[in-house]
Amino acid sequence: MLKATTLARRVCCTVAAVLAGTTLGLAPVLPALSADFPKQPIEMAVLFGGSSATIAQILADSMSKELGVPVAAVSRTGASGAVGYSYVKSTPPNGYNIVWNSNSISTAYHNGNMDFDYKAFDGIARVGMEVPALAVRTDSGWKNLKEFAAAAKKQKMKVGVSGRGAFTHLASAALFDKMGIDVIYVPYGKGSAPVELLAGRIDAALQWPSQFKAQVDAGQLRVIAVTSVERLPVLPDVPTAKEQGFDVDAVLWRGVAAPHGTPKDVIAKLETAIRKVVTGRDFQERAAKLGFEPAFLGAADFDKFIATDDSVTAKLMSELGLKKKN
Amino acid sequence: MGLIFGSIPGLTFSMALALMVPFTFGMQTTPALGLLLGVYVGGMTGGSVSAILLGIPGTPSAAATVFDGHPMAQRGHAGVALGAAVIASTFGGLFSLLVMMLLLEQVAAIAIKFGPAEIFALVLFGLSTICGMAERSMLRGLVAGTLGLMLMIIGLDELDGIARLTFGTVQMQQGVNLLVAMIGLFAVPQIIGTFLDFGRVEPLKMLADVRARLPTFGQLKQRLWLMVRCSSIGTGIGAIPGTGGPIAAFLAYDHARRFDRQPQNYGKGELSGVVAPESANNAVTGGTMIPLLSLGIPGDPATAVILGGLLIHGLYPGPMLFRTHLEVIYALYVSIVLAYVVILVVQLWGIRIFVKVLSVPPHVLAVCIIVLCGLGSYAIRNSIFDVYLMAVMGLIGYILQRVRIPVAPIVLGLVLGETLEKQYRTALIMTEGDYAVFYTSGVALFFFGLTALTIGLQIFSSRRRRPA
Repeated sequence: MLKATTLARRVCCTVAAVLAGTTLGLAPVLPALSADFPKQPIEMAVLFGGSSATIAQILADSMSKELGVPVAAVSRTGASGAVGYSYVKSTPPNGYNIVWNSNSISTAYHNGNMDFDYKAFDGIARVGMEVPALAVRTDSGWKNLKEFAAAAKKQKMKVGVSGRGAFTHLASAALFDKMGIDVIYVPYGKGSAPVELLAGRIDAALQWPSQFKAQVDAGQLRVIAVTSVERLPVLPDVPTAKEQGFDVDAVLWRGVAAPHGTPKDVIAKLETAIRKVVTGRDFQERAAKLGFEPAFLGAADFDKFIATDDSVTAKLMSELGLKKKN
Repeated sequence: MGLIFGSIPGLTFSMALALMVPFTFGMQTTPALGLLLGVYVGGMTGGSVSAILLGIPGTPSAAATVFDGHPMAQRGHAGVALGAAVIASTFGGLFSLLVMMLLLEQVAAIAIKFGPAEIFALVLFGLSTICGMAERSMLRGLVAGTLGLMLMIIGLDELDGIARLTFGTVQMQQGVNLLVAMIGLFAVPQIIGTFLDFGRVEPLKMLADVRARLPTFGQLKQRLWLMVRCSSIGTGIGAIPGTGGPIAAFLAYDHARRFDRQPQNYGKGELSGVVAPESANNAVTGGTMIPLLSLGIPGDPATAVILGGLLIHGLYPGPMLFRTHLEVIYALYVSIVLAYVVILVVQLWGIRIFVKVLSVPPHVLAVCIIVLCGLGSYAIRNSIFDVYLMAVMGLIGYILQRVRIPVAPIVLGLVLGETLEKQYRTALIMTEGDYAVFYTSGVALFFFGLTALTIGLQIFSSRRRRPA
């Protein structure tokens, strides 16, 4: 009896698996897929939650209007993005399965979370950037990086980041390396670093500007640097690290990619749709409110950009002792 | 809307919220806010429906409701359980709203004092309640609790990004999702049992007589004070960033059991066992709003999505919001009250329909539940791996039931283990390995003391029972 029921359960699972398999498998059977692309709904895998998922939703909605077929942002989170990347990589390269990608493609690979890297995907377009910001409490008295560095040399600072090997960790490591100071990285995850900073349990936090915004307006926190080359529209008064004499350029990019081998004309169609959306006023306004900087880059340039960024990330991670040998 | 999502296992309210956000772009600020909040509180309440009727918690926060809610339904008291759940939920929600309106600044100031060391102590206290859940044997409870903690370890470690017990597979890096484990552990063994009994045991008579009886006024009045206490627990826990609904519900459940004159009734269908976690998990909704509104910091994933929705409308929650957009704050209060009124009406009316589920023959129902289980497991992370995982967990659950190891502590281990480990390690990283952080904090010491007391009392009482 027990066997029969487990068998029934197995059958049930198998049926579900087969169903899922056939839906995915259908696409390559369709002839002349690239000429009349897109003919069926497109699925965009989203690897993380939070504000980046909201941006992905906005992008997907607007892309639906451009392409005339539904574009669904489907959440496939887990394992620092490795789950979603693995899934999209396993789908047929026909443009119907795309991924909302980011630097995580490099960090997940070099961390040893997955056994393939950015070369498994063809870039479609870069959509934008997110720039981390370093904040301290207003009552700490530190107004810029130099004052912070001077204090950090006397006493070891505790700096909140999102997790070991997370982008905020890499970016702060790059910054503090240039500043010549050694700090304790406190990994938080799920965005609780700003609270900890407010409560005085850490001395500084490198997170996203929107997380600090409310407290900055209220005069509790002060952002002393952003790690991009240019200043941010959301924080126009905050100087970049470069302006303060520390040459750092660490930004989180986000874009869209398809499995390697996707036909060029399909990529071109998706690229055109994304360009129209990202350069549109509607998208720009919404993105700005979420602290996301639209920065469109076409498919060819995007591929080169990712390759360069990957080697920078690899170097930084091996310096930090985070890189796994693959 | 949130109700529907909440009642379908696997479709959690966090997910419903994420889906709703794009719809709000085109709306005015107030209706947009109303929609999001409606989904949030609705989802929190709706999770109890499937927990009570089918024994599958609709959301992780409803897990504690299963322990007593489902046995009540099996005894034919589904209407009472559902009615009590929705009333307790509404009470908890409104209570926390009141706290939020009156004591926002004060609660936020206290909540912020909870750092990693303090949260660790609080969660450890929660874990000590395993003692109470191990129905007969303390040893069996501890075995189950440890199993839960071990399951929690599987997957990618959030702090260091290191894969643990994954056997080199990407799928295992996702870890064991709490809901998947719960569906497997609670629902599947029951289904297996139903099939095994089929043909051997006559279908139970009481199922033919399912009437939608509501809890009486007296039953509720008796538990008013309990609701107040559990709502306070929920509001408080909700206000501490990094905790959340499931922890609050479990703590409230344990609190109710511990202070009841007949703790042995719990787990068998005690009304207070439904009222306590439900008032607490809905009180969390108001609690999480406290850090969100006063500090601009989301307390759980669901409020993180709400934060995103507010940002899109150009509203930055935080101290400034009260000065610049007071009308938004009032709209928010009104939306929450409205949402609860709607929930109360819809749910109380819906109970008549919900309980009909129980008049379906158990073996037919079991087939439907299998489908729901599969669907729910898949939907959580769009992952077929989770469906297999659910099936495996189900088998484990069935075997454990056979050897009489309770499954509740496993869930508790899963719920609390993650927070426990993370906060402990964060606390130590912060001090570079100096343990002083745990005994120099008054709050942490207080909870450590409570933990020791709980364990001590348990040992004492089981010693005394043994000779008898």
